[in-house]
Amino acid sequence: MQITKKQNASSLVIGLEGRLDTTTAPELEQALKESLDGVSELTLDFENLEYISSAGLRVLLSARKQMNRQGSMKLVHVGEMIREVFEVTGFVDILTIE
Amino acid sequence: MTIELKGRIDSNNAARVEAEILQKLAGAEDQALTLDAAGLEYISSAGLRVILRLKKSHPELRILNVSSEVYEILDMTGFTEMMTVEKAYRVISIEGCEEIGRGANGKLYRIDQDNVVKVYKNADALEDIRHEREMAKMALILGIPTAISYDVVKVGESYGSVFELLNARSFAKILAREPEKLDWCVQEFVNMLKKIHGTRVPAGKLPDMRETAIGWARFMQDYLPEEAGKKLLSLMEAVPHDDHMIHGDYHTKNLELQNDEVLLIDMDTLAVGHPIFELGSMYNSFKGFSELHHEVFEKFQGYSFEIGAAFWHKALAAYLGTNCEAKIREVEDKARVVGYTRLIRRSIRRYGLDDPGCRAEIELWKKELLELLARTDTLLFSLNELELEAVTENLPELQAFVEERLEAADCPMKARMQISLAVEEIFVNIAHYAYAPEKGMATVRVEISEDPVTVTITFLDHGVPFDPLAKADPDLSLDAEERKIGGLGIFLTRQIMDDVAYAYKNGQNILTLKKKLG
Repeated sequence: MQITKKQNASSLVIGLEGRLDTTTAPELEQALKESLDGVSELTLDFENLEYISSAGLRVLLSARKQMNRQGSMKLVHVGEMIREVFEVTGFVDILTIE
Repeated sequence: MTIELKGRIDSNNAARVEAEILQKLAGAEDQALTLDAAGLEYISSAGLRVILRLKKSHPELRILNVSSEVYEILDMTGFTEMMTVEKAYRVISIEGCEEIGRGANGKLYRIDQDNVVKVYKNADALEDIRHEREMAKMALILGIPTAISYDVVKVGESYGSVFELLNARSFAKILAREPEKLDWCVQEFVNMLKKIHGTRVPAGKLPDMRETAIGWARFMQDYLPEEAGKKLLSLMEAVPHDDHMIHGDYHTKNLELQNDEVLLIDMDTLAVGHPIFELGSMYNSFKGFSELHHEVFEKFQGYSFEIGAAFWHKALAAYLGTNCEAKIREVEDKARVVGYTRLIRRSIRRYGLDDPGCRAEIELWKKELLELLARTDTLLFSLNELELEAVTENLPELQAFVEERLEAADCPMKARMQISLAVEEIFVNIAHYAYAPEKGMATVRVEISEDPVTVTITFLDHGVPFDPLAKADPDLSLDAEERKIGGLGIFLTRQIMDDVAYAYKNGQNILTLKKKLG
């Protein structure tokens, strides 16, 4: 999985490419840990993300909890397969998906 | 010239013995000297010095029929390395002994309650015996349960090797006496076969079956139409090198049940290679050899050709992990290409083309082979089962394995993603919980059945009994702060698949996922 970051003052855009699964979720977790300090607006760009498993969902859930305390978080460009996983698991109600 | 040595040779009589020997040698033209030590009970250093002097004047000196005690002295003093020293072999008789097995090189007899002897066909079999012993030792070290010979004996004019085999019965005998045990035998037979084929052999330790098979195909060039001959050769050449073990003569007489343990015997044909070569020789054992004369099978194995054919079919299905008749037939046809090639070559080399008895068989095999060659494009096939260590690092390997099978079945993209997701969730669950804090193996089987097209994925592990489906579903109505992190994977799997079932059987957790396609 490729992770790209674009920071503009307190807003951060993280782009993901490939598969967010058991093997790669720790990479996203680490990237978030390193860069969420002082961020009040987090955007996750899923345009090039092909696949997500529960390991990825867990990272999204804890990111959401942290951002609830310091600002907001939203997901953009969510593809069909991933949207379905969000629907099945009720994540559509927890996450802000544009 | 041969001179007999008798009794004890020590400092009391060494000088006299030497004088006697030299007297016999005087005037003899023949320079080759053999000492027959059958009657020699003891030799001291004084006697050894006599032999050393004889060796100087007769460099070709050999000592034969040496008893174990004297051999030990000669071995300790380094004499066995300086000259040819051959042990006397214990002589045993197999009169009235039960024949319990038969292989490519000889027959197996039970000599008493605990021991069996394999009598080699080849009269000069010492090299074969040494070879088989080496093979068996290596297989044992690599984890294949087998018996290793502990003594070499003389049986009439032949040599034999003696093994310990307590109360063992061959699978052929079990099938002959208790045909109701067919399914159990098939299962154990296939378990052993998978164990053999899952064993990697260090380079250069065993012959390469691929090269042997290419040799058969070359031989066949003179006996097949040009096109067919070329195709056969290219099919054999296209099989990639494989460093996994194959037995080479795998049938129900070479598998023994000793108490509760299954042992593989007759190890002299061990090789490395793609499993298709094994299946080829198995086809011959069960069907090919006796295709024209079914009674040949019964005479050899002791049970009927029909039971043998049923055994082969069930074993192939279990080995491939499928009940799909088309798939079984497809792999059987590939095995037949290898099998017939081997049979035709063997018959031509042994009996020539003119023997009327063999001719009918050769014609039948050749007709079948030509028909198969016309519609076979590869000898390769894939197994539907993967055994791997249950650690998350192995997830990509498992995903690739599953993907490959789904792709081959033209599974639509969306279903592929969903199945991939379910596979990840279940495998990670096993990796985290089944063996913690230790590690262990998991087996994953992918089956695709027709009408309607359904993918079934089975996970097996030997970890602690654990039913992941017993867990309550996560509460989806909670907001982010209240949502728990766990339990999502199994929930997702249940939502995505059409059927998820758990069972604990024979010490294994068995989780089965089903998804209908289209």
